Amino acid sequence: MSARPITTIKTVVAGIEEAGAGIKVFTLADPDRWDLPPFKPGAHIDLHLPNGLVRTYSLCNEPADNSRYVIAVKREADGRGGSRALHDEVGIGDVIGVSLPRGGLEPGADIAHHVFVAGGIGVTPFLSMARHLLQIGNTGFVLHLIVREEVPLAAHLAPLIDEGRVVVHRTSCAGRPNLASLVGEVGGQTMVACCGPEGMTDEFERLTAAWPAANVHIERFVAPPPVIDPDAKPFTLLLARTGTEIPVRAGQTMLAALQEGGIDISTSCCGGICGACRVGWIEGKPVHRDRVLSPYERERFLMICVAGSDADRLVLDL
Amino acid sequence: MLDEIGAGSADSTARLGWTGLVRFLHLAPRAFLPMRAMEQLVLVAGQGIEGDRYMIGREEGFYSHKPEEGRQVTLFELETLVALKRDAGIELSPEEHRRNVTVEGVPLNHLVGRRFWLGETLLEATRLSIPCRHIEEITGKAIFDPLINRSGLNCRILQGGIVRVGDTVRNMA
Repeated sequence: MSARPITTIKTVVAGIEEAGAGIKVFTLADPDRWDLPPFKPGAHIDLHLPNGLVRTYSLCNEPADNSRYVIAVKREADGRGGSRALHDEVGIGDVIGVSLPRGGLEPGADIAHHVFVAGGIGVTPFLSMARHLLQIGNTGFVLHLIVREEVPLAAHLAPLIDEGRVVVHRTSCAGRPNLASLVGEVGGQTMVACCGPEGMTDEFERLTAAWPAANVHIERFVAPPPVIDPDAKPFTLLLARTGTEIPVRAGQTMLAALQEGGIDISTSCCGGICGACRVGWIEGKPVHRDRVLSPYERERFLMICVAGSDADRLVLDL
Repeated sequence: MLDEIGAGSADSTARLGWTGLVRFLHLAPRAFLPMRAMEQLVLVAGQGIEGDRYMIGREEGFYSHKPEEGRQVTLFELETLVALKRDAGIELSPEEHRRNVTVEGVPLNHLVGRRFWLGETLLEATRLSIPCRHIEEITGKAIFDPLINRSGLNCRILQGGIVRVGDTVRNMA
């Protein structure tokens, strides 16, 4: 029995391919080659690396190819350590936990044309999207790939370049292309998407500010700050038995805050109905959002998974 | 009062009678992985389903850190899938509810504490299953609320054997 809940999908490194320009392509698969959880084209996953780092990478393969997750990682010598760990320490057969896939593009039925703009290694989600569109017989897309000189994942992109579906813009010889002209005019049946360095995605966001939100998709290397409910307020949990103080960020659940603080809480449904995480409270103004406690019980208990606090401090019988 | 009128007793349940069918069988070897449709499952008495994540000793399920002797096999009503579509407009397919056995014509909520035959295997229902946010995370569908009180049945396996799609489900006489 494992003492802690399983929070990641267990994968093994089934393949590592040198893809030029300091890039390695990693193929992750279930140990028994079971299908992996499905994903949308261009979705991303978190990798929980053996050294404890958690890093997010876009999937390069298409949803129909769901027996594996394929990611391309460029080694960043001065990065935060994730790409170095993958390049230098991870080998075939290593076990890596990954998150459920998130994000990606849902090609709408009324989207006739896709314009993708990628900067360097930012091409990865569009490789997945392009492969998916071709697989479903949709050829109405173009991928503008902006690179300094060398094309990343050249072998993977070669068929698409040969077919004219990928247009390579080399800034070393022609300077930066005009992003506005690549994006084009607003069109109801056109979807535009961008992935690349922050400067590029910022400019793309400005250029498409007037577009309908449903027709614009941006993938960032660095996640934007989380959007927090303007009414949500941070508060502090005081654990009466140990005197420990646990800060709860605005919008964060008590459960997540306690888990971050290394406090083990028994949970099950995480939706306020099963009663598994019932905890006594001693002082404060809890906000009960469960559907399991009676009014009488709420005078003494709360459900950690859904409850909040209307005061700065809440004292728990923990 | 319920005792006095014999409500829910083994006698009354048997007398009222029902017979159902095994419509779908599924398993997954590890947490989060898609459930795979099977033509048959091998149920091992006191242990679980061969190859499934919750088989005792395997312990690779999302809830394996909370061991439960009475969770060796889980069942779900086909009628609930129909109701989800009809009442909430949610299409949930048999592999998405993540229980092992989808049955038709079996009043699962009435069987807690009772024994019944699933094909050649004998089960004892231990408790109703509870919906969880985990399933919403996996399916991306808002099914937590509509599944309250109709999220299936947890059972222990008293007599093992092979269960096949199309097998009869019947009360223990």
